[in-house]
Amino acid sequence: MNFFLTFFLNSAKFENKILIETSMLTEFGKIFAFMLIAIIFVVVTVFMSKLVRPARPTKEKLMIYECGENPEGTPWVKFNIRFYVVALIFLIFDVEVVLLVPWTVVYQQYGLAGYFIGVIFLFFLGLGMAYEWKKGDLEWARPYPQSSKLKNAVKGVETSLPVTSEK
Amino acid sequence: MKSTEELFAILKEKFGDAVLQLNTKLPKEAVIDVTPSQIAEISWFLRDTEELQFDNLILLTGLDDDNGEKVKLEDGTTETKGGTLSVVYHLESMKLKHKLVLRVSTDRDKPEVETVCKVWACADWHEREAFDMFGIKFLNHPDLRRILMPYDWEESYPLRKDYKNPEFYQGMKVPY
Amino acid sequence: MGLLDKEFTDDNIVITKVEDLLNWARLSSLWQMSFGLACCAIEMMATSASHYDFDRFGVIPRPSPRQADIIIISGTVTFKMAIRIKRIYEQMPDPKYIISMGSCSNCGGPYWEHGYHVLKGVDRVIPVDVYVPGCPPRPEALLEGLLTLQNKIRNESLVKKSV
Repeated sequence: MNFFLTFFLNSAKFENKILIETSMLTEFGKIFAFMLIAIIFVVVTVFMSKLVRPARPTKEKLMIYECGENPEGTPWVKFNIRFYVVALIFLIFDVEVVLLVPWTVVYQQYGLAGYFIGVIFLFFLGLGMAYEWKKGDLEWARPYPQSSKLKNAVKGVETSLPVTSEK
Repeated sequence: MKSTEELFAILKEKFGDAVLQLNTKLPKEAVIDVTPSQIAEISWFLRDTEELQFDNLILLTGLDDDNGEKVKLEDGTTETKGGTLSVVYHLESMKLKHKLVLRVSTDRDKPEVETVCKVWACADWHEREAFDMFGIKFLNHPDLRRILMPYDWEESYPLRKDYKNPEFYQGMKVPY
Repeated sequence: MGLLDKEFTDDNIVITKVEDLLNWARLSSLWQMSFGLACCAIEMMATSASHYDFDRFGVIPRPSPRQADIIIISGTVTFKMAIRIKRIYEQMPDPKYIISMGSCSNCGGPYWEHGYHVLKGVDRVIPVDVYVPGCPPRPEALLEGLLTLQNKIRNESLVKKSV
């Protein structure tokens, strides 16, 4: 494929540009080949094992495994919602790390401005981290809700109480 | 620290007829025989009195006294009728360091004993085991059901002397 | 699918070589669902430990029957447990094998006469492939049981047995 591309587009005017473009295209071709092999590897293995193994389903074999007893209740259990918070925090900082990695490689070519772009990025993410640290999201135990201290700001406002039967 | 004779004297003084006798001819320890309907009151007394303080029930076990008459059935096996089943309580005081053994005898055909679960909490499962193995019913027990055998084992109580294995249990052959 | 599961009626050279390959692959990595019930379980743990290694035969302990090839019933089997053993055996995927380890699971063991809650031999509920005698069997005995099972697997075939 490489040979045909270079032959077909080989003109003196576009030589440099096209050579760059074809080598970039063949780089993607390598990635494509890699993905293809990964998919084929999995598909062939699963297919071969399906071919070889016996399949004799019985009613008891297909029951849900519960250490030998009859399964009781539903397997959909409620789990702690803190897992969601932990996953969310992880996702954000993981994406931050992924975006920082190319910066660390090239920032020196751009002098001081390149350095400060990274610093500003980290600063904003640090603000977010400070917020969640203060709110107690980094602890596993559920934090006490931190109510805002605005009660004193509304002094002098009379609130009407609901009418009660006793005095 | 009191000896068994002193404890017997104290119990006899308090409960009179319910405390039957002191049996000192046994090899290891002397055993006090008690009537089954009064065992709960006697247990409360034993636990709560200042000078006795029996705060630990070490063991509660059932016994088959094997003193009934053996009746031969049609298929050649023997069954025991009459006679007694016993429950033995081993008590101890951790503070005052004395021990006591009580024994209660009930009829084999209608074995009923008052429970001591409220006095010592560990008696709960021990009484379930005595029920499972001998069939001794404990009155006012919170949860009297089989503990070692399967819950749906209908074939009587295994540790009685006249116990016979059933032929099949849920499709599995029981005897060897 | 199970296209190769006893579907062939004749026995030619290709089938023989494929049989050898599949049997070799299966016997070299028998993942065990260790069902340690009583004292034999200690000997099974000793076999899995480093002195008499089980792992060098490819035997890895798995906690779930869904991931296991063999189940080693080691220890006294009571009636309550026998019901669960049957369910667990049914939940193992084919091909599966059973090693009955020790006297109690072979024939009831020392409880054969008076045991009121003991199942006299686990082969009253599940079909056993290899019996390992002993009370408890030494680790070498259990290893010999494993090798016997491997020999049995080596001689298995894909060919459908015609009547």
